[in-house]
Amino acid sequence: MRLLQRPLSLALRLTLLFTIAATIVLSVFGLVINKSMENHFFSQDTDELRVIVDAVQNALATANSDKHSATLEQRFDDILVGHHDASLFITTRDSGTLYISPEPDLSTIKIPHQSQLEADLERRWNYNGLPYTVLLRTFNEIGPDNRGPFRIVAAVPFDDHLHFLNTFRRNLWIMIAGSVIVMSIMGWVAVRRGHAPLHEIISRIRRISARDLNTRLPYEGVPYELVDLVTSFNEMLQRMDEAFQRLADFNADIAHELRTPITNLMTQTQVALSRARTINEYQDILYSNVEEYDRLAQMVNDMLFLAQTDNRKKIDVGPVKLDEEVDKLFDYYGGWAEECGIALERTGAAAIQGHQSMLRRAFGNLISNAIRHTPADGSVRVTISTENSGVTITVENPGQTIPPEHLSKLFDRFYRIDFSRQQGVDGAGLGLAIVKSIVTAHGGNVDVTSYNGLTRFQISLPLHQGPISTDNRLRRDK
Amino acid sequence: MKILIVEDESKISEYLRQGLTEAGYMVDLARNGLDGHHLAMTEKHDLIILDVLLPDIDGWRIVQSLREADNNVPVLFLTARDSIEDRVKGLELGADDYLVKPFAFAELLARVRTLLRRGNTNATETTLTVADLELDLMRRRVTRSGKKIQLTAKEFALLELMLRHRDEVLPRSLIASQVWDMNFDSDTNVIDVAIRRLRAKIDDDFEPRLIHTVRGMGYMLDSSSDS
Repeated sequence: MRLLQRPLSLALRLTLLFTIAATIVLSVFGLVINKSMENHFFSQDTDELRVIVDAVQNALATANSDKHSATLEQRFDDILVGHHDASLFITTRDSGTLYISPEPDLSTIKIPHQSQLEADLERRWNYNGLPYTVLLRTFNEIGPDNRGPFRIVAAVPFDDHLHFLNTFRRNLWIMIAGSVIVMSIMGWVAVRRGHAPLHEIISRIRRISARDLNTRLPYEGVPYELVDLVTSFNEMLQRMDEAFQRLADFNADIAHELRTPITNLMTQTQVALSRARTINEYQDILYSNVEEYDRLAQMVNDMLFLAQTDNRKKIDVGPVKLDEEVDKLFDYYGGWAEECGIALERTGAAAIQGHQSMLRRAFGNLISNAIRHTPADGSVRVTISTENSGVTITVENPGQTIPPEHLSKLFDRFYRIDFSRQQGVDGAGLGLAIVKSIVTAHGGNVDVTSYNGLTRFQISLPLHQGPISTDNRLRRDK
Repeated sequence: MKILIVEDESKISEYLRQGLTEAGYMVDLARNGLDGHHLAMTEKHDLIILDVLLPDIDGWRIVQSLREADNNVPVLFLTARDSIEDRVKGLELGADDYLVKPFAFAELLARVRTLLRRGNTNATETTLTVADLELDLMRRRVTRSGKKIQLTAKEFALLELMLRHRDEVLPRSLIASQVWDMNFDSDTNVIDVAIRRLRAKIDDDFEPRLIHTVRGMGYMLDSSSDS
């Protein structure tokens, strides 16, 4: 059933097109030839008839008396002798018959009623199933015995021509049909040959497996029309290769990240079980285990969150006042920052359409990250500014300059600058990856710069359905 | 108080039963959807803890049957899938709360207590008292041993939460969520700092100490302790 819905194959379609075009062109060609042959024979006949009629006319004009009537008839016979199978019929003014050939009976021919014909009338005529070419002429001379004007009808049989034409036509159609068949076959072969590069590309593509995504299709021998296809396919391979690589890396990272806490748990528990211990010792071990489990659970939750955010096609948006979110986060992190001797500052305000809890989480991650890396007496500064294209939120903090080679990888999952600090305060190393994921889900982007002891994260978010000015909202509330 | 647990994973269900029994509840345990459905429909419970993904009858169906039978017993869903659609579906079908695996047992206990308390809380309560600590909810005033203590708004909210959940272990994530509306795990010691500051105000100069750290789990306000 599904096969029926698929359009016909390209080769078949092109061949059909060839065939139809060739049939139409050759048929028209054949019809034109046939018609002109027919016309040619017809005018040949009428020329001959005109000669006869001219001779008859001449005979009539030169005959002058009744006495010559017999000789006149004789002259008409003579005229006809030179012309194979020609026949003649001459009538006088009073519709009397001056002369009539024995066969065919030209008197049965239907003659237009006008008594006077301005010019010769040429036509085809059938008698007893045989075709004839006929010429009619009115001769306005009074003639001998005042019997004019005369009407002269001359005819020659057409059947020889017709026979030839029929044979010719049959041969013509056979040749045309043959040509059409030959052209269709040639067209089909040409299309198949034309598709050869395509089949070549297909077989190359078929040979590519997940293992060798780094291979690329060669451009040699690819016809101009297919270069774009090869280019697009190679670009797709590139993207897939990268995605595969990232996935493989990610899997390796997960395995690595899980191995550490699991090793801790196993060793600790096995050592603990190796001999009897006091209740306090057991408790200590269980507490320590709980902490380790907590970390594992958090890592799993973060990874799930990332997977969901990345897979989500669209997020539920509502108005989010960014300044309020930042203030709430400052309120949350304030005590901790204060204990570390770090000030939190915000300037600017804006509102956008976004997912509130996701945005809060993104800003929260950036702010806590900033606090963590700020030395005492420093301050974390959050700036919100509105531009034409969207809203920019920067979170900057003084602290150790991050070497440039790390900057682009900061948002990678599990990426940590200081690898000796594996299970340290940075958590699972997913915080910044989550920030990036959330910002991407909002159609924005996040960037980081670090120089002269100042690290700055910058989030750009589109306004979505336009900015909702905080001032306007306040005014409306009044 | 009687709680029904419907959970097909034997380890979790066993530990839940042990934990809840030790917390002073009577616990019925069903290890598949059919038994769970039967128990839920025929016996009276004060709370049902339901796993969403069960091999036969899933959690959604059980809640649906309960609500169709006009049974308004509070239902707490457990699920391994954390998607907003699931959450919305659960709440629409009449679940009262929702917990994503893996969860902290303390968090589960806190939610269970909240659900069980629902309906019989004294909404008009204006003061909360533990030992010699008194919270005036109307005037937002705190006194201990008759001595006035100045608290910030968040400190007050934190103390109120702990008083309302006295003798319960409050995990850090629950505190962050209830007091600051921060519903994501943050791997910082923000809550520890907040508790330390609250302790400095209400505990440091007084006896007995009320706020206790439960290692690996969270914090607890102990009304009876004298340690």
